[in-house]
Amino acid sequence: MSRTPNFTGWKAVILHREDSNTERLERQFGLLGIRATRRWEPLSTWDDADLVLVDADQGWDDLLPQTDGLSGRPLVALLGSEAPGRIAWAMEKGASAIIAKPVATSAIFPALVMAVSIHEERLAVADKLRHLEERVRMRPLVHAAVEKLRAAQCMTEEEAYAALRDCAMQRRLTMEQIAAILLGGAETLPEVG
Amino acid sequence: MNDALKIGILYSTTGPYGAMGVDARDGAMLAVEDNAKKSGRVIEPVFYDPHASLQGYLDGAQQMLRADCRHIVGTITSAARKEVIPLVEKHDGLLWYMCPYEGFEANESVIYIGGCPNQHLIPAFEYLIPRFGARPYLTGANYVWGWEMNRLARELIANAGGEILGERYLPLEETSVERIITEIAERRPSFVLNNLIGPSSYAFLEAMKALGEKDPFFRPENCPVVSCDLMECELDLIARGAATGQLCAASYFDTLDTAENRDFKSRAALRYGRERRISSVFASAYVAVDLCVAAILAAGTDEPQAVRREVQGRKWPSLLGALEIDGRTNHAALPFHLGRINDDNGFDVIASRPALAADPYLTQRGTAMPAKLRVVS
Repeated sequence: MSRTPNFTGWKAVILHREDSNTERLERQFGLLGIRATRRWEPLSTWDDADLVLVDADQGWDDLLPQTDGLSGRPLVALLGSEAPGRIAWAMEKGASAIIAKPVATSAIFPALVMAVSIHEERLAVADKLRHLEERVRMRPLVHAAVEKLRAAQCMTEEEAYAALRDCAMQRRLTMEQIAAILLGGAETLPEVG
Repeated sequence: MNDALKIGILYSTTGPYGAMGVDARDGAMLAVEDNAKKSGRVIEPVFYDPHASLQGYLDGAQQMLRADCRHIVGTITSAARKEVIPLVEKHDGLLWYMCPYEGFEANESVIYIGGCPNQHLIPAFEYLIPRFGARPYLTGANYVWGWEMNRLARELIANAGGEILGERYLPLEETSVERIITEIAERRPSFVLNNLIGPSSYAFLEAMKALGEKDPFFRPENCPVVSCDLMECELDLIARGAATGQLCAASYFDTLDTAENRDFKSRAALRYGRERRISSVFASAYVAVDLCVAAILAAGTDEPQAVRREVQGRKWPSLLGALEIDGRTNHAALPFHLGRINDDNGFDVIASRPALAADPYLTQRGTAMPAKLRVVS
Protein backbone atom coordinates (compact mmCIF):
# COMPACT_ATOMS: atom_id res chain seq x y z
CA MET A 1 0.00 0.00 0.00
CA SER A 2 1.33 3.44 -0.82
CA ARG A 3 1.22 5.98 2.01
CA THR A 4 -0.18 9.43 1.25
CA PRO A 5 2.89 11.66 0.92
CA ASN A 6 2.81 14.57 3.36
CA PHE A 7 5.18 17.53 3.00
CA THR A 8 3.75 19.58 5.84
CA GLY A 9 6.56 21.44 7.63
CA TRP A 10 9.15 20.84 4.89
CA LYS A 11 11.50 23.60 3.74
CA ALA A 12 12.15 24.05 0.05
CA VAL A 13 14.67 26.29 -1.71
CA ILE A 14 13.84 27.43 -5.24
CA LEU A 15 16.95 28.51 -7.15
CA HIS A 16 15.35 30.52 -9.93
CA ARG A 17 14.74 34.11 -10.93
CA GLU A 18 11.34 35.39 -9.87
CA ASP A 19 8.72 34.89 -12.56
CA SER A 20 5.26 33.39 -13.08
CA ASN A 21 6.75 29.89 -12.71
CA THR A 22 8.13 30.57 -9.25
CA GLU A 23 4.89 32.31 -8.27
CA ARG A 24 2.97 29.21 -9.21
CA LEU A 25 5.45 26.98 -7.34
CA GLU A 26 5.25 29.13 -4.22
CA ARG A 27 1.44 29.11 -4.29
CA GLN A 28 1.29 25.33 -4.60
CA PHE A 29 3.96 24.84 -1.92
CA GLY A 30 1.90 27.04 0.39
CA LEU A 31 -1.10 24.79 0.14
CA LEU A 32 1.06 21.67 0.54
CA GLY A 33 2.38 23.06 3.82
CA ILE A 34 5.91 23.60 2.46
CA ARG A 35 7.82 26.75 3.46
CA ALA A 36 9.55 27.90 0.28
CA THR A 37 12.29 30.48 -0.19
CA ARG A 38 13.36 31.65 -3.60
CA ARG A 39 16.84 32.92 -4.45
CA TRP A 40 19.05 33.37 -7.48
CA GLU A 41 22.48 33.15 -5.92
CA PRO A 42 24.61 30.18 -4.87
CA LEU A 43 23.36 28.03 -2.03
CA SER A 44 26.31 27.34 0.27
CA THR A 45 24.88 24.45 2.25
CA TRP A 46 22.14 21.85 2.00
CA ASP A 47 21.40 22.28 5.71
CA ASP A 48 18.51 24.70 5.40
CA ALA A 49 16.54 22.74 2.83
CA ASP A 50 14.64 19.47 2.77
CA LEU A 51 14.10 19.83 -0.94
CA VAL A 52 15.77 21.93 -3.67
CA LEU A 53 14.42 23.07 -7.05
CA VAL A 54 16.87 24.47 -9.54
CA ASP A 55 16.60 26.33 -12.83
CA ALA A 56 18.25 23.82 -15.14
CA ASP A 57 18.01 26.21 -18.11
CA GLN A 58 20.36 28.75 -16.58
CA GLY A 59 21.90 27.03 -13.58
CA TRP A 60 25.68 26.80 -13.21
CA ASP A 61 27.84 24.43 -11.15
CA ASP A 62 28.44 26.67 -8.15
CA LEU A 63 24.74 27.42 -7.74
CA LEU A 64 24.40 24.20 -5.75
CA PRO A 65 26.50 23.15 -2.74
CA GLN A 66 29.12 20.43 -3.22
CA THR A 67 27.84 16.91 -2.71
CA ASP A 68 29.85 13.98 -1.42
CA GLY A 69 27.51 11.17 -2.25
CA LEU A 70 25.01 11.17 0.56
CA SER A 71 24.90 14.78 1.69
CA GLY A 72 22.56 16.15 -0.99
CA ARG A 73 18.84 16.69 -0.97
CA PRO A 74 16.02 15.64 -3.31
CA LEU A 75 16.58 17.85 -6.33
CA VAL A 76 13.99 18.84 -8.94
CA ALA A 77 15.08 20.39 -12.24
CA LEU A 78 12.95 23.23 -13.64
CA LEU A 79 13.50 22.83 -17.33
CA GLY A 80 12.17 24.56 -20.42
CA SER A 81 15.04 23.69 -22.73
CA GLU A 82 15.34 20.39 -24.54
CA ALA A 83 19.08 20.84 -25.09
CA PRO A 84 20.91 17.62 -24.17
CA GLY A 85 23.56 19.67 -22.37
CA ARG A 86 21.02 21.12 -19.96
CA ILE A 87 19.41 17.73 -19.33
CA ALA A 88 22.87 16.29 -18.65
CA TRP A 89 23.65 19.16 -16.25
CA ALA A 90 20.45 18.45 -14.30
CA MET A 91 21.28 14.75 -14.05
CA GLU A 92 24.88 15.42 -13.10
CA LYS A 93 23.66 17.59 -10.24
CA GLY A 94 21.53 14.68 -9.06
CA ALA A 95 18.07 15.81 -10.14
CA SER A 96 15.59 12.96 -9.76
CA ALA A 97 12.54 14.67 -11.28
CA ILE A 98 11.80 17.38 -13.82
CA ILE A 99 9.08 20.02 -13.83
CA ALA A 100 8.73 21.37 -17.35
CA LYS A 101 8.39 25.12 -17.86
CA PRO A 102 5.98 26.81 -18.12
CA VAL A 103 5.05 25.11 -14.86
CA ALA A 104 1.67 23.38 -14.84
CA THR A 105 0.09 23.26 -11.39
CA SER A 106 -0.67 19.58 -11.77
CA ALA A 107 3.02 18.76 -12.40
CA ILE A 108 4.29 19.95 -9.02
CA PHE A 109 3.04 17.42 -6.46
CA PRO A 110 3.89 14.36 -8.61
CA ALA A 111 7.44 15.68 -9.21
CA LEU A 112 8.03 16.23 -5.50
CA VAL A 113 6.77 12.76 -4.60
CA MET A 114 8.96 11.18 -7.26
CA ALA A 115 12.08 13.22 -6.44
CA VAL A 116 11.88 12.41 -2.74
CA SER A 117 11.21 8.74 -3.33
CA ILE A 118 14.09 8.35 -5.82
CA HIS A 119 16.41 10.29 -3.52
CA GLU A 120 15.58 7.94 -0.63
CA GLU A 121 16.09 4.94 -2.88
CA ARG A 122 19.51 6.27 -3.94
CA LEU A 123 20.54 6.75 -0.32
CA ALA A 124 19.47 3.20 0.50
CA VAL A 125 21.35 1.78 -2.50
CA ALA A 126 24.50 3.78 -1.64
CA ASP A 127 24.33 2.50 1.92
CA LYS A 128 23.96 -1.09 0.80
CA LEU A 129 26.81 -0.71 -1.66
CA ARG A 130 29.10 0.60 1.05
CA HIS A 131 28.22 -2.35 3.25
CA LEU A 132 28.83 -4.86 0.45
CA GLU A 133 32.16 -3.27 -0.51
CA GLU A 134 33.28 -3.62 3.06
CA ARG A 135 32.38 -7.30 3.04
CA VAL A 136 34.17 -7.93 -0.27
CA ARG A 137 37.25 -6.23 1.12
CA MET A 138 37.19 -8.55 4.14
CA ARG A 139 36.48 -11.72 2.21
CA PRO A 140 40.14 -13.02 2.19
CA LEU A 141 39.92 -13.09 5.98
CA VAL A 142 37.10 -15.62 5.83
CA HIS A 143 39.16 -17.85 3.61
CA ALA A 144 42.14 -17.61 5.96
CA ALA A 145 39.96 -18.34 9.01
CA VAL A 146 38.46 -21.43 7.37
CA GLU A 147 41.97 -22.67 6.58
CA LYS A 148 43.12 -22.08 10.16
CA LEU A 149 40.15 -23.97 11.62
CA ARG A 150 40.51 -26.82 9.17
CA ALA A 151 44.14 -27.36 10.10
CA ALA A 152 43.64 -26.97 13.86
CA GLN A 153 40.46 -29.06 14.22
CA CYS A 154 41.05 -31.62 11.45
CA MET A 155 37.80 -30.54 9.78
CA THR A 156 36.86 -30.60 6.15
CA GLU A 157 36.57 -27.23 4.48
CA GLU A 158 32.74 -27.46 4.59
CA GLU A 159 32.74 -28.30 8.29
CA ALA A 160 35.07 -25.42 9.09
CA TYR A 161 32.94 -22.99 7.10
CA ALA A 162 29.73 -24.23 8.77
CA ALA A 163 31.32 -23.87 12.25
CA LEU A 164 32.39 -20.32 11.48
CA ARG A 165 28.94 -19.46 10.12
CA ASP A 166 27.15 -20.89 13.19
CA CYS A 167 29.40 -18.87 15.43
CA ALA A 168 28.72 -15.69 13.44
CA MET A 169 24.99 -16.30 13.68
CA GLN A 170 25.07 -16.92 17.43
CA ARG A 171 27.00 -13.72 18.04
CA ARG A 172 25.03 -11.77 15.44
CA LEU A 173 28.20 -10.75 13.60
CA THR A 174 29.11 -11.01 9.94
CA MET A 175 31.35 -13.85 8.74
CA GLU A 176 34.05 -11.30 8.06
CA GLN A 177 33.95 -9.92 11.58
CA ILE A 178 34.06 -13.36 13.21
CA ALA A 179 36.91 -14.36 10.90
CA ALA A 180 38.87 -11.27 11.94
CA ILE A 181 38.37 -12.11 15.62
CA LEU A 182 39.53 -15.69 15.10
CA LEU A 183 42.62 -14.72 13.12
CA GLY A 184 43.51 -11.90 15.48
CA GLY A 185 43.61 -14.47 18.27
CA ALA A 186 42.43 -11.85 20.72
CA GLU A 187 39.71 -14.21 21.80
CA THR A 188 39.22 -17.94 21.59
CA LEU A 189 36.03 -19.08 20.04
CA PRO A 190 34.80 -21.86 22.29
CA GLU A 191 31.89 -22.55 19.96
CA VAL A 192 34.28 -23.66 17.23
CA GLY A 193 36.74 -25.36 19.55
CA MET B 1 -21.19 45.48 -18.66
CA ASN B 2 -24.69 45.35 -20.01
CA ASP B 3 -24.37 42.53 -22.53
CA ALA B 4 -25.68 39.06 -21.79
CA LEU B 5 -23.68 37.25 -19.16
CA LYS B 6 -22.58 33.95 -20.67
CA ILE B 7 -22.26 30.83 -18.53
CA GLY B 8 -21.06 27.59 -20.14
CA ILE B 9 -22.81 24.43 -18.99
CA LEU B 10 -20.90 21.26 -19.92
CA TYR B 11 -22.59 18.02 -18.91
CA SER B 12 -23.04 14.67 -20.57
CA THR B 13 -26.62 13.46 -20.35
CA THR B 14 -25.81 10.02 -21.77
CA GLY B 15 -23.39 7.24 -20.81
CA PRO B 16 -22.79 5.53 -17.44
CA TYR B 17 -23.34 8.73 -15.45
CA GLY B 18 -26.02 10.23 -17.71
CA ALA B 19 -28.58 10.45 -14.91
CA MET B 20 -26.20 12.68 -12.97
CA GLY B 21 -25.55 14.80 -16.08
CA VAL B 22 -29.27 15.43 -16.55
CA ASP B 23 -29.65 16.52 -12.94
CA ALA B 24 -26.55 18.72 -13.07
CA ARG B 25 -27.79 20.40 -16.25
CA ASP B 26 -31.23 21.01 -14.78
CA GLY B 27 -29.80 22.40 -11.55
CA ALA B 28 -27.53 24.75 -13.49
CA MET B 29 -30.42 25.90 -15.71
CA LEU B 30 -32.64 26.59 -12.70
CA ALA B 31 -29.88 28.74 -11.21
CA VAL B 32 -29.55 30.65 -14.48
CA GLU B 33 -33.29 31.39 -14.47
CA ASP B 34 -33.42 32.29 -10.77
CA ASN B 35 -30.44 34.62 -11.07
CA ALA B 36 -31.79 36.31 -14.19
CA LYS B 37 -35.03 37.03 -12.33
CA LYS B 38 -33.24 38.18 -9.20
CA SER B 39 -30.65 40.42 -10.89
CA GLY B 40 -32.57 41.67 -13.91
CA ARG B 41 -29.55 40.75 -16.04
CA VAL B 42 -29.75 38.72 -19.20
CA ILE B 43 -27.91 35.48 -18.49
CA GLU B 44 -27.23 33.29 -21.46
CA PRO B 45 -26.55 29.64 -20.70
CA VAL B 46 -24.33 28.03 -23.34
CA PHE B 47 -25.10 24.33 -23.07
CA TYR B 48 -23.04 21.57 -24.68
CA ASP B 49 -23.54 17.81 -24.34
CA PRO B 50 -20.27 15.92 -24.92
CA HIS B 51 -22.11 12.56 -24.90
CA ALA B 52 -19.59 11.03 -22.49
CA SER B 53 -16.69 11.40 -24.93
CA LEU B 54 -13.47 13.10 -23.80
CA GLN B 55 -13.07 14.66 -27.23
CA GLY B 56 -16.62 15.97 -26.83
CA TYR B 57 -15.63 17.74 -23.63
CA LEU B 58 -12.69 19.37 -25.43
CA ASP B 59 -14.87 20.46 -28.35
CA GLY B 60 -17.52 21.85 -26.02
CA ALA B 61 -15.06 23.77 -23.86
CA GLN B 62 -13.31 25.14 -26.94
CA GLN B 63 -16.57 26.37 -28.46
CA MET B 64 -17.52 28.10 -25.23
CA LEU B 65 -14.15 29.78 -24.69
CA ARG B 66 -14.00 30.96 -28.31
CA ALA B 67 -17.48 32.43 -27.95
CA ASP B 68 -16.23 34.62 -25.07
CA CYS B 69 -17.84 32.41 -22.49
CA ARG B 70 -15.12 32.41 -19.85
CA HIS B 71 -16.94 30.59 -17.08
CA ILE B 72 -17.68 26.92 -17.55
CA VAL B 73 -19.72 25.00 -15.01
CA GLY B 74 -19.30 21.33 -15.63
CA THR B 75 -17.60 17.98 -16.01
CA ILE B 76 -18.44 15.08 -13.72
CA THR B 77 -15.54 12.62 -13.98
CA SER B 78 -11.95 13.50 -13.14
CA ALA B 79 -10.89 12.38 -16.61
CA ALA B 80 -13.16 15.00 -18.21
CA ARG B 81 -12.06 17.69 -15.74
CA LYS B 82 -8.37 17.00 -16.41
CA GLU B 83 -9.06 17.16 -20.14
CA VAL B 84 -10.74 20.56 -19.95
CA ILE B 85 -8.37 22.29 -17.47
CA PRO B 86 -5.47 22.99 -19.90
CA LEU B 87 -7.88 24.68 -22.31
CA VAL B 88 -9.42 26.78 -19.56
CA GLU B 89 -5.93 27.80 -18.42
CA LYS B 90 -4.84 28.67 -21.93
CA HIS B 91 -7.87 30.82 -22.65
CA ASP B 92 -7.82 32.39 -19.19
CA GLY B 93 -11.19 31.04 -18.16
CA LEU B 94 -12.53 29.56 -14.93
CA LEU B 95 -13.94 26.06 -14.48
CA TRP B 96 -16.58 25.54 -11.78
CA TYR B 97 -16.40 21.88 -10.76
CA MET B 98 -19.07 20.56 -8.43
CA CYS B 99 -18.80 16.78 -8.01
CA PRO B 100 -17.27 14.82 -5.17
CA TYR B 101 -13.85 13.63 -6.36
CA GLU B 102 -10.72 11.85 -5.10
CA GLY B 103 -8.70 14.98 -4.23
CA PHE B 104 -5.03 15.74 -5.01
CA GLU B 105 -5.63 18.76 -7.20
CA ALA B 106 -5.81 22.51 -6.60
CA ASN B 107 -5.68 24.46 -9.83
CA GLU B 108 -5.89 28.26 -9.92
CA SER B 109 -8.28 28.05 -12.86
CA VAL B 110 -10.80 25.85 -11.09
CA ILE B 111 -13.27 26.56 -8.29
CA TYR B 112 -14.07 23.29 -6.52
CA ILE B 113 -17.53 22.96 -5.04
CA GLY B 114 -17.56 19.12 -4.90
CA GLY B 115 -15.97 17.50 -1.87
CA CYS B 116 -12.61 15.78 -1.59
CA PRO B 117 -11.98 12.74 0.66
CA ASN B 118 -11.56 14.61 3.94
CA GLN B 119 -15.09 15.89 3.34
CA HIS B 120 -16.71 12.56 2.42
CA LEU B 121 -14.67 9.36 2.83
CA ILE B 122 -12.84 10.19 6.06
CA PRO B 123 -15.91 11.37 8.02
CA ALA B 124 -17.85 8.37 6.68
CA PHE B 125 -15.14 6.04 8.05
CA GLU B 126 -15.17 7.94 11.33
CA TYR B 127 -18.84 7.05 11.59
CA LEU B 128 -18.56 3.45 10.37
CA ILE B 129 -15.48 2.03 12.09
CA PRO B 130 -16.65 2.46 15.72
CA ARG B 131 -20.09 1.05 14.87
CA PHE B 132 -19.30 -1.78 12.48
CA GLY B 133 -15.59 -2.54 12.82
CA ALA B 134 -12.42 -2.01 10.81
CA ARG B 135 -12.52 -5.02 8.48
CA PRO B 136 -14.17 -3.71 5.30
CA TYR B 137 -14.33 -5.06 1.77
CA LEU B 138 -13.50 -2.54 -0.97
CA THR B 139 -14.93 -2.41 -4.43
CA GLY B 140 -14.74 0.19 -7.16
CA ALA B 141 -14.91 1.22 -10.79
CA ASN B 142 -11.67 0.48 -12.61
CA TYR B 143 -10.38 4.03 -12.93
CA VAL B 144 -8.85 6.73 -10.79
CA TRP B 145 -11.91 7.38 -8.58
CA GLY B 146 -12.15 3.74 -7.49
CA TRP B 147 -8.39 3.22 -7.20
CA GLU B 148 -7.62 6.34 -5.19
CA MET B 149 -10.63 6.11 -2.86
CA ASN B 150 -9.73 2.50 -2.07
CA ARG B 151 -6.03 3.32 -1.64
CA LEU B 152 -7.01 5.90 0.93
CA ALA B 153 -9.43 3.46 2.57
CA ARG B 154 -6.55 0.98 2.92
CA GLU B 155 -4.40 3.61 4.57
CA LEU B 156 -7.17 4.63 6.99
CA ILE B 157 -7.87 1.01 7.89
CA ALA B 158 -4.16 0.18 8.37
CA ASN B 159 -3.77 3.16 10.67
CA ALA B 160 -6.86 2.09 12.62
CA GLY B 161 -5.29 -1.35 13.13
CA GLY B 162 -7.91 -3.03 10.94
CA GLU B 163 -7.72 -5.26 7.91
CA ILE B 164 -8.99 -5.11 4.33
CA LEU B 165 -10.80 -8.36 3.55
CA GLY B 166 -10.80 -7.90 -0.21
CA GLU B 167 -10.58 -5.39 -3.03
CA ARG B 168 -12.06 -5.81 -6.49
CA TYR B 169 -12.74 -3.58 -9.49
CA LEU B 170 -15.20 -3.68 -12.37
CA PRO B 171 -14.93 -1.91 -15.74
CA LEU B 172 -17.44 0.92 -16.24
CA GLU B 173 -20.89 -0.46 -17.11
CA GLU B 174 -19.91 -4.05 -16.18
CA THR B 175 -22.74 -5.65 -14.23
CA SER B 176 -21.33 -9.15 -13.52
CA VAL B 177 -20.91 -8.78 -9.79
CA GLU B 178 -21.10 -12.51 -8.85
CA ARG B 179 -17.44 -12.93 -8.06
CA ILE B 180 -17.41 -9.93 -5.72
CA ILE B 181 -20.59 -11.17 -4.00
CA THR B 182 -19.11 -14.67 -3.55
CA GLU B 183 -16.00 -13.19 -1.94
CA ILE B 184 -18.01 -10.95 0.36
CA ALA B 185 -20.19 -13.92 1.39
CA GLU B 186 -17.07 -15.95 2.26
CA ARG B 187 -15.08 -13.26 4.01
CA ARG B 188 -17.87 -11.60 6.03
CA PRO B 189 -16.54 -7.99 6.23
CA SER B 190 -17.61 -5.35 8.77
CA PHE B 191 -18.94 -3.18 5.94
CA VAL B 192 -18.46 -2.66 2.20
CA LEU B 193 -17.07 0.50 0.61
CA ASN B 194 -18.73 0.84 -2.79
CA ASN B 195 -16.84 3.00 -5.29
CA LEU B 196 -18.54 1.45 -8.29
CA ILE B 197 -20.49 3.88 -10.42
CA GLY B 198 -23.64 3.75 -12.51
CA PRO B 199 -25.01 0.37 -13.69
CA SER B 200 -22.24 -1.63 -11.92
CA SER B 201 -23.18 -0.01 -8.65
CA TYR B 202 -26.91 -0.65 -9.16
CA ALA B 203 -26.29 -4.33 -10.00
CA PHE B 204 -24.05 -4.66 -6.96
CA LEU B 205 -26.63 -3.17 -4.58
CA GLU B 206 -29.30 -5.51 -5.98
CA ALA B 207 -27.02 -8.52 -5.49
CA MET B 208 -26.21 -7.44 -1.90
CA LYS B 209 -29.94 -7.28 -1.22
CA ALA B 210 -30.29 -10.90 -2.42
CA LEU B 211 -27.32 -11.95 -0.27
CA GLY B 212 -28.90 -10.30 2.78
CA GLU B 213 -32.12 -12.23 2.18
CA LYS B 214 -30.19 -15.51 2.25
CA ASP B 215 -28.04 -14.62 5.24
CA PRO B 216 -29.09 -11.88 7.73
CA PHE B 217 -25.40 -11.14 8.41
CA PHE B 218 -25.39 -9.18 5.15
CA ARG B 219 -28.44 -7.03 5.83
CA PRO B 220 -27.69 -3.30 5.77
CA GLU B 221 -28.13 -2.96 9.53
CA ASN B 222 -25.33 -5.52 10.07
CA CYS B 223 -23.01 -5.07 7.11
CA PRO B 224 -23.87 -1.83 5.31
CA VAL B 225 -22.72 -0.86 1.84
CA VAL B 226 -21.49 2.75 1.89
CA SER B 227 -20.95 4.95 -1.18
CA CYS B 228 -19.68 8.49 -1.58
CA ASP B 229 -21.35 9.26 -4.90
CA LEU B 230 -24.75 7.62 -5.00
CA MET B 231 -27.63 10.05 -5.35
CA GLU B 232 -31.40 10.51 -5.52
CA CYS B 233 -31.56 10.59 -9.31
CA GLU B 234 -30.01 7.12 -9.42
CA LEU B 235 -32.22 5.40 -6.88
CA ASP B 236 -35.07 5.04 -9.38
CA LEU B 237 -32.68 3.08 -11.62
CA ILE B 238 -32.18 0.43 -8.92
CA ALA B 239 -34.76 -2.34 -8.40
CA ARG B 240 -37.41 -0.98 -6.02
CA GLY B 241 -36.33 -1.44 -2.40
CA ALA B 242 -33.03 -3.15 -3.28
CA ALA B 243 -30.87 -0.41 -1.83
CA THR B 244 -33.05 0.36 1.20
CA GLY B 245 -30.95 0.71 4.35
CA GLN B 246 -27.64 1.26 2.56
CA LEU B 247 -25.57 4.39 3.27
CA CYS B 248 -24.18 7.30 1.30
CA ALA B 249 -22.08 10.35 2.19
CA ALA B 250 -22.88 13.71 0.56
CA SER B 251 -22.94 17.42 1.29
CA TYR B 252 -26.62 17.64 0.26
CA PHE B 253 -29.70 15.44 0.41
CA ASP B 254 -33.19 16.24 -0.84
CA THR B 255 -34.57 15.53 2.63
CA LEU B 256 -32.40 18.10 4.48
CA ASP B 257 -34.67 20.04 6.76
CA THR B 258 -33.31 23.58 6.48
CA ALA B 259 -35.04 26.83 5.58
CA GLU B 260 -32.77 27.23 2.53
CA ASN B 261 -33.66 23.76 1.28
CA ARG B 262 -37.42 24.12 1.81
CA ASP B 263 -37.36 27.37 -0.14
CA PHE B 264 -35.17 25.87 -2.86
CA LYS B 265 -37.33 22.78 -3.25
CA SER B 266 -40.48 24.80 -3.70
CA ARG B 267 -38.81 26.73 -6.54
CA ALA B 268 -37.48 23.52 -8.12
CA ALA B 269 -40.96 21.98 -7.85
CA LEU B 270 -42.48 24.89 -9.77
CA ARG B 271 -39.99 24.37 -12.55
CA TYR B 272 -39.61 20.57 -12.68
CA GLY B 273 -42.68 19.22 -10.83
CA ARG B 274 -43.32 18.03 -7.29
CA GLU B 275 -42.14 14.47 -8.00
CA ARG B 276 -38.65 15.52 -8.95
CA ARG B 277 -36.26 14.68 -6.17
CA ILE B 278 -33.25 16.96 -5.86
CA SER B 279 -29.90 15.15 -5.94
CA SER B 280 -26.56 16.41 -4.69
CA VAL B 281 -25.33 17.12 -8.26
CA PHE B 282 -28.53 19.08 -9.01
CA ALA B 283 -27.97 21.08 -5.84
CA SER B 284 -24.26 21.61 -6.32
CA ALA B 285 -24.60 22.60 -10.00
CA TYR B 286 -27.18 25.12 -8.81
CA VAL B 287 -24.78 26.38 -6.13
CA ALA B 288 -21.93 26.63 -8.68
CA VAL B 289 -23.91 28.76 -11.13
CA ASP B 290 -25.45 30.82 -8.33
CA LEU B 291 -22.00 31.57 -6.86
CA CYS B 292 -20.48 32.23 -10.28
CA VAL B 293 -23.15 34.79 -11.21
CA ALA B 294 -23.08 36.43 -7.77
CA ALA B 295 -19.29 36.79 -7.93
CA ILE B 296 -19.35 38.19 -11.48
CA LEU B 297 -21.96 40.76 -10.47
CA ALA B 298 -20.03 41.67 -7.31
CA ALA B 299 -16.79 42.01 -9.29
CA GLY B 300 -18.51 44.07 -11.97
CA THR B 301 -16.71 42.04 -14.64
CA ASP B 302 -16.49 38.43 -15.76
CA GLU B 303 -12.69 38.66 -15.89
CA PRO B 304 -11.72 35.36 -14.19
CA GLN B 305 -8.98 36.74 -11.92
CA ALA B 306 -11.29 39.40 -10.55
CA VAL B 307 -14.09 36.86 -10.10
CA ARG B 308 -11.77 34.48 -8.27
CA ARG B 309 -10.62 37.23 -5.94
CA GLU B 310 -14.22 38.16 -5.28
CA VAL B 311 -15.23 34.59 -4.53
CA GLN B 312 -12.51 34.04 -1.95
CA GLY B 313 -12.41 35.32 1.56
CA ARG B 314 -16.08 35.81 2.33
CA LYS B 315 -19.13 33.74 3.11
CA TRP B 316 -21.78 33.42 0.41
CA PRO B 317 -25.34 32.54 1.32
CA SER B 318 -26.13 29.30 -0.50
CA LEU B 319 -28.30 26.23 -0.56
CA LEU B 320 -25.53 24.44 1.37
CA GLY B 321 -25.46 27.14 4.05
CA ALA B 322 -22.87 29.93 4.25
CA LEU B 323 -20.34 28.90 1.61
CA GLU B 324 -16.66 29.77 1.92
CA ILE B 325 -14.02 29.19 -0.77
CA ASP B 326 -10.48 28.79 0.58
CA GLY B 327 -8.10 31.26 -1.06
CA ARG B 328 -5.22 28.77 -1.13
CA THR B 329 -6.95 25.67 -2.45
CA ASN B 330 -9.94 27.20 -4.33
CA HIS B 331 -12.05 24.53 -2.63
CA ALA B 332 -15.36 25.08 -0.81
CA ALA B 333 -15.81 24.16 2.83
CA LEU B 334 -18.70 21.68 2.78
CA PRO B 335 -21.03 20.11 5.33
CA PHE B 336 -20.96 16.32 5.70
CA HIS B 337 -24.14 14.28 5.81
CA LEU B 338 -24.56 10.54 5.94
CA GLY B 339 -27.83 9.39 4.41
CA ARG B 340 -29.60 6.05 4.72
CA ILE B 341 -31.73 5.04 1.75
CA ASN B 342 -35.41 4.75 2.72
CA ASP B 343 -38.32 2.86 1.14
CA ASP B 344 -39.38 6.02 -0.60
CA ASN B 345 -36.15 6.13 -2.70
CA GLY B 346 -34.81 9.06 -0.73
CA PHE B 347 -32.20 9.41 2.00
CA ASP B 348 -32.83 9.76 5.73
CA VAL B 349 -30.02 11.85 7.19
CA ILE B 350 -28.55 9.84 10.09
CA ALA B 351 -25.39 11.87 10.85
CA SER B 352 -24.18 15.38 9.99
CA ARG B 353 -21.20 17.60 10.57
CA PRO B 354 -20.95 21.35 9.96
CA ALA B 355 -18.89 22.62 7.03
CA LEU B 356 -15.42 21.04 6.86
CA ALA B 357 -12.60 22.93 5.13
CA ALA B 358 -11.27 21.00 2.15
CA ASP B 359 -7.83 19.39 2.49
CA PRO B 360 -7.26 18.23 -1.09
CA TYR B 361 -3.68 17.01 -0.47
CA LEU B 362 -4.49 15.61 2.98
CA THR B 363 -1.82 17.72 4.65
CA GLN B 364 -3.92 17.71 7.85
CA ARG B 365 -2.84 21.20 8.66
CA GLY B 366 -6.02 21.67 10.63
CA THR B 367 -4.65 19.29 13.24
CA ALA B 368 -1.91 20.16 15.73
CA MET B 369 0.42 17.33 14.75
CA PRO B 370 0.22 16.20 11.16
CA ALA B 371 1.06 12.56 11.45
CA LYS B 372 -0.38 9.43 9.99
CA LEU B 373 -3.82 9.84 8.49
CA ARG B 374 -6.11 8.69 11.19
CA VAL B 375 -9.77 8.13 11.73
CA VAL B 376 -10.62 9.94 14.95
CA SER B 377 -13.44 8.22 16.80
